[in-house]
Amino acid sequence: MRSVCGSIIVPISALVLASGSAVAWLVELFFVPASFMVGVAGFALAALAASMVAVYAAAKVRRLREAFKHYLDNLSQSDMHDLDTSDTPMPRQLEQSSWRQIAVGLQETLAEMRNRVRELETSRSAVEIRSRRAVDEAERLRAILANLGDPVLVINGYDEVSLANPAAESLFSFDLEHTEQRAVANLVKCERLVDLLLTTNHRETSGRRTDELEISDDEGNSHWFRTTACRLPLFSEGDLEQDQEGEGTVVVFRDVDREKNLQKRNAEFVSSVSHEMKTPLAGIKAYVELLADGEAEDEETREEFLGVIDSQADRLQRLVENLLNLARIEAGVVSVNKNNRSLNEVLEEASQVVQPAADAKGITLTVDLSPLYLGVHADRDMLLQSAINLLSNAVKYTQEGGQVTLRSRNADNMIVYEVEDTGVGLSEEDSQRVFDKFYRVKKDKNMAQGTGLGLPLAKHIVEDVHGGTLSLESELGVGSKFTATLPMAAQMS
Amino acid sequence: MEKRLLLCDDEIHILRAAEFKLKRAGYSVRIAGDGEEGWEMIQEELPDLVVTDCQMPRLDGLGLIARAREHEATRELPFFMLTAKGLELSHAELAEKLKVLGVISKPFSPRDLLRSIDEVLKPAGASS
Repeated sequence: MRSVCGSIIVPISALVLASGSAVAWLVELFFVPASFMVGVAGFALAALAASMVAVYAAAKVRRLREAFKHYLDNLSQSDMHDLDTSDTPMPRQLEQSSWRQIAVGLQETLAEMRNRVRELETSRSAVEIRSRRAVDEAERLRAILANLGDPVLVINGYDEVSLANPAAESLFSFDLEHTEQRAVANLVKCERLVDLLLTTNHRETSGRRTDELEISDDEGNSHWFRTTACRLPLFSEGDLEQDQEGEGTVVVFRDVDREKNLQKRNAEFVSSVSHEMKTPLAGIKAYVELLADGEAEDEETREEFLGVIDSQADRLQRLVENLLNLARIEAGVVSVNKNNRSLNEVLEEASQVVQPAADAKGITLTVDLSPLYLGVHADRDMLLQSAINLLSNAVKYTQEGGQVTLRSRNADNMIVYEVEDTGVGLSEEDSQRVFDKFYRVKKDKNMAQGTGLGLPLAKHIVEDVHGGTLSLESELGVGSKFTATLPMAAQMS
Repeated sequence: MEKRLLLCDDEIHILRAAEFKLKRAGYSVRIAGDGEEGWEMIQEELPDLVVTDCQMPRLDGLGLIARAREHEATRELPFFMLTAKGLELSHAELAEKLKVLGVISKPFSPRDLLRSIDEVLKPAGASS
């Protein structure tokens, strides 16, 4: 700025000088006429000198201005991200002039501004990345929640449902997006769950609360869930309204129907096994006590009592064997001793075992075996067990005076044996479940005692141990037919 | 006069053991294989006390007692339950709702069964 002022002062000084000379000349014109020519010459010289100085100074200023402009253009056209502005060359005139300071100042300011811009850009990129990540994360969480099979429900500080995944909407039969009245008590039709949510939501302290709840769906089917409710922390501080929206409680439901059913079936099984074991034990204990008390006075009575003890001990042993065999077969640790043998011989033996039970109920047990030799590659004891179980089941669930038939035959290169009865028969639902371990048909439970192990064990023996099939045809009130198909011995060798 | 007992159980050997012990103790004993048969016998001749199993074909022990409680003649008939069932039976509920005198668990002692029946039918000091 100082050099610009200097450039302007030079021509102005020349003009002042010229004006002074002109004034001097006019003074001398009136008072000293003899010096007129000298005055004119002096004035002219002074004017000429002043004009030359002024022209020179103006030209210099213009060149400097152009150089400055050129330099500014170069600076502005340089790479925006280039922080080292010293790379832009400074014109020589500018370098040597008093304008240099201005140029350097501008250069530094520009570098600083570019640096700030770059910092802002970096900062903006980081914010954009974080924002994008947050959006991605939210989408991902939404997708996870949507695909989660377990229901998840969130309520806010106003006790309104603020989030529910499709599993929760389906469980409680609502569509949150199209629901205006979102109060949890309106949407969740389970008083105990509502209590759990509200209590958790208004507690001072955090921490999880779990419960096991039975929740009925729209069709009236009840399901067991293990629920875990937990207060949500407040993620950001805001005004009271924001706080109420932000805080709340999340509850996650885990379907424990299977566990509950398993527990129930196990409890039923233990109860059933215990009952089955206690019955023969009761006989043994009672008769041992009668003998010990000397109640049996004659040899015949003593023999009778000992016979009962023996038969009840056998019964207990069979039960324990059934249990162990089933457990071993299921665990895959059973030792199988297969040989080629006659199926008819095994079936004859099985029929003899069951005959007394049939006689006791007045049931006609017909044994209609093939006259041909039916060779099977089988474990004798196991095959016998399967036939006894099927025959025993038929006798148990056939009314007094009914009929049970045991048949064997050769069909399509397979060996078949059938146990058919004129018993109570099974519904379609029971037919599908009758091979389930521990399953007992409810309506027939009182008809006979059992553990629900005989048929599953027979199926395991025929199918898993011998590679055959065991199927069932049954009609409620008419009777049942179990058909076991086994590969022929020749095919096995 | 001999006190009359009715025993209901679908396990014949249990019936025979109890019958043997109680008969030798001087009771008149009749036996039934299930609840329905037991109910028929009760109607034929009212016993002084009934011992019944819980799980039986046709009509179970609880059904038999409930039916007896519905009829004037058998409303106060003393019942003992002889069962292999465990905790699934609420003894308190049996006593309160069905007025069952006691539950005897299987395996059982015929000696203890006799003692329990004696306590009801032959109270100390009473002449038999």
